[in-house]
Amino acid sequence: MKKFMLLCLSLLFVVGILAACGGESDASSDTKGDTGEDSASDESGSETTGDETEQITLEFFNTKVEIHDQALEMIEKFEEEHPNIKVELESVGGGADGDAALKAKFASGEAPDIFTNGGYKQLDLWKEHLADLSNEPWAEHVLPFAKEPMTDEDGKLYGRPVNLEGYGFIYNKDLFEQAGITEAPKTISELEEAVEKLEAAGITPFAAGYGEWWIIGQHLLNVPFAQQDEPAQFIQDLYDGTETFEGNEHFENFQKVLDLETQYGNDNPLTTDYNTQVTLFASGETAMLQQGNWTENMIYEINPDINMAFLPIPLSDDPDSNRIPVGVPNSYVINKNSEHLEEAKLFLNWMTTSETGKHYMTEVFAFIPALDNIEPSGLGALGKSILEYSKEDKTIPWTWFRWPEGANKEFAASIQKYVTGQIEYEQVLEEFQATWDNLK
Amino acid sequence: MSSYAENKKVDVQTGKEQAMASKRKAKLKKILSYTAFVGPALLFFLIIQIAPFFMGVYYSFTSWNGVSAAVEWVGFDNYIKIFTDDQNFYNSFLFTTKFMFAAVIISNVTGFGLALILNTALKTRNILRTVFFIPNVIGGLLLGFIWQFIFVKGFASIGDLTGLPFFQQPWLGTEDTAFWGIVIVFAWQISGYMMVIYIAALQGVDNSLLEAAKIDGASYLKVLTRIIIPLILPAFTICFFLTISMAFKIFDLNISLTGGGPFNSTESVAINIYQEAFTNNRYGLGTAKSILFFIVVVIFTTCQVMFTKKKEVEA
Repeated sequence: MKKFMLLCLSLLFVVGILAACGGESDASSDTKGDTGEDSASDESGSETTGDETEQITLEFFNTKVEIHDQALEMIEKFEEEHPNIKVELESVGGGADGDAALKAKFASGEAPDIFTNGGYKQLDLWKEHLADLSNEPWAEHVLPFAKEPMTDEDGKLYGRPVNLEGYGFIYNKDLFEQAGITEAPKTISELEEAVEKLEAAGITPFAAGYGEWWIIGQHLLNVPFAQQDEPAQFIQDLYDGTETFEGNEHFENFQKVLDLETQYGNDNPLTTDYNTQVTLFASGETAMLQQGNWTENMIYEINPDINMAFLPIPLSDDPDSNRIPVGVPNSYVINKNSEHLEEAKLFLNWMTTSETGKHYMTEVFAFIPALDNIEPSGLGALGKSILEYSKEDKTIPWTWFRWPEGANKEFAASIQKYVTGQIEYEQVLEEFQATWDNLK
Repeated sequence: MSSYAENKKVDVQTGKEQAMASKRKAKLKKILSYTAFVGPALLFFLIIQIAPFFMGVYYSFTSWNGVSAAVEWVGFDNYIKIFTDDQNFYNSFLFTTKFMFAAVIISNVTGFGLALILNTALKTRNILRTVFFIPNVIGGLLLGFIWQFIFVKGFASIGDLTGLPFFQQPWLGTEDTAFWGIVIVFAWQISGYMMVIYIAALQGVDNSLLEAAKIDGASYLKVLTRIIIPLILPAFTICFFLTISMAFKIFDLNISLTGGGPFNSTESVAINIYQEAFTNNRYGLGTAKSILFFIVVVIFTTCQVMFTKKKEVEA
């Protein structure tokens, strides 16, 4: 009998485990409901509106980890104004990892209400989940070129650009002066000259972060793509097979930049990661850094008095070389099948048009807004430099969102092989072509 | 007469039935208790391991991209592509196999060596056992980042100070240093674990056998190769099995230490599969690769277990 009891108990235990697993979702939604009612009733006293509507929760999936803490503050402000909406922020690092996390969330049925999307190819991939935002109040204010990544063939807009970012060679003005360089180099010959002067003055010219695939395979390699007369057409031709990497003027010229940067760069560029690269520049060990304005805060933290601005990444002596790549890294999108579609739109609208939202976007996040009705303020030296290039119309696009998925990593591997002397430059172009044809 | 016989028959029959009933009862009890004990584990194993595995088999015949609701059946296209047109996958397989051999040998030799030393009457042996085991408790990702710092920053500084060429190499920056870098960290992490298994086995060796051998005048080497190793072969079976499968499936250490670089030369099969599925958005192709990978790992480990099992002896 004792044995039988034990048996019953263990069976009960099994059932218990199963019940606990199965009931998890119910339980959590219950608690959400409870806390919702509590806070609603708490706040209804203080709030003049005092609405009795049910509390809802929005899931906000953020890939810009740099602004996580500030975004939490902003959400608090939003929740004060909209007591029946609660926003849960989750930040996962950008790039592929954020993507994989997002896929996992969708696959497990826990799709967030608001997340981000890179546009172009990414838009194609995710479009079936995205809500049409063409008729949102802010839509008409989005800068035309910033709309492009998130607009489909029918002209519908699916996202709100998070911000504008640009990159190039960030240079330390003081070190340039020290080496006797009076004018900022704008072409490849001028850059070569400047590099030699720096070298002669005992200053390492470049901080080369060739260990990170995205620095070389995405940002650096974007330059020859974007310098084409018609970048979008060129990429389409690559897909169609009517255009090749070999024999293309800009890709042939690209070799010089690689040679210059690695020859006159820090030791062991292949093991130099993002942090090391930025630190090398910020601490004044090198005069130039191939990075974007997102490094601004990192640099100021190490060296608050640094005097810096952007140089283009020139491929030739053509005056067209003096342009820097500016683009939209990501756009906020809304899950079409969200239970709280209207509230999600309301939140996005609040972030974009309310005074508090604008204040956070420009002053706190230090973003360059991609909307024409918001004045950028609170920018540092790098943000201002980008803005100057934009005003003079000296920008080229970010093209990698149009590339075949995964190509950027393979491109980076080919560049690394070239830099270590494993292959010749012609083979690099051959490998680019093979990568493209394999992944397209 | 007849009624008596019939009665007896009935008696026998009821007796038989009773016996059968009690047997059945016992059987039922056995099944029930089996279910109670094995059931929960089996259930979770089915849900968490087996079900996704078969879903993976299904997806490997599709061109699913990981996001879309539409899943298109493509038959054997993915497998054909892997065999005919995927140099990277082939390279990563080659790397993983090379890595597996180097890692298995080094970690088992170190583990066994440590076990032999720490099985003697050292005063500090308990502390040392803990010290060698600790790396195994730290997660692979963390270890990778720590060692990346050691290789890139630490080794470089030592190289600058001492001028030793070993430390002056661009560690993790070339194909060879990256390969050996991963082997070193893997061996460092796993040897302590192997050591514990070997120590347990060594302690099970009957002392009288060793003493008898000593009296017969056998040298230490003879004792080791002729008595100790044959007796603890089961431990070798376990350790080889564990290291082979762990080395084959290496992912976290690899991704945090080198990220597959430089130029994809240290990209393990697991990383290749992950990138195919999640970066290149070719989930179908990725699962097809993982099914192939599964088959290879199964073949390798079964062969190894069969081979070493054959060699085992009873004392």
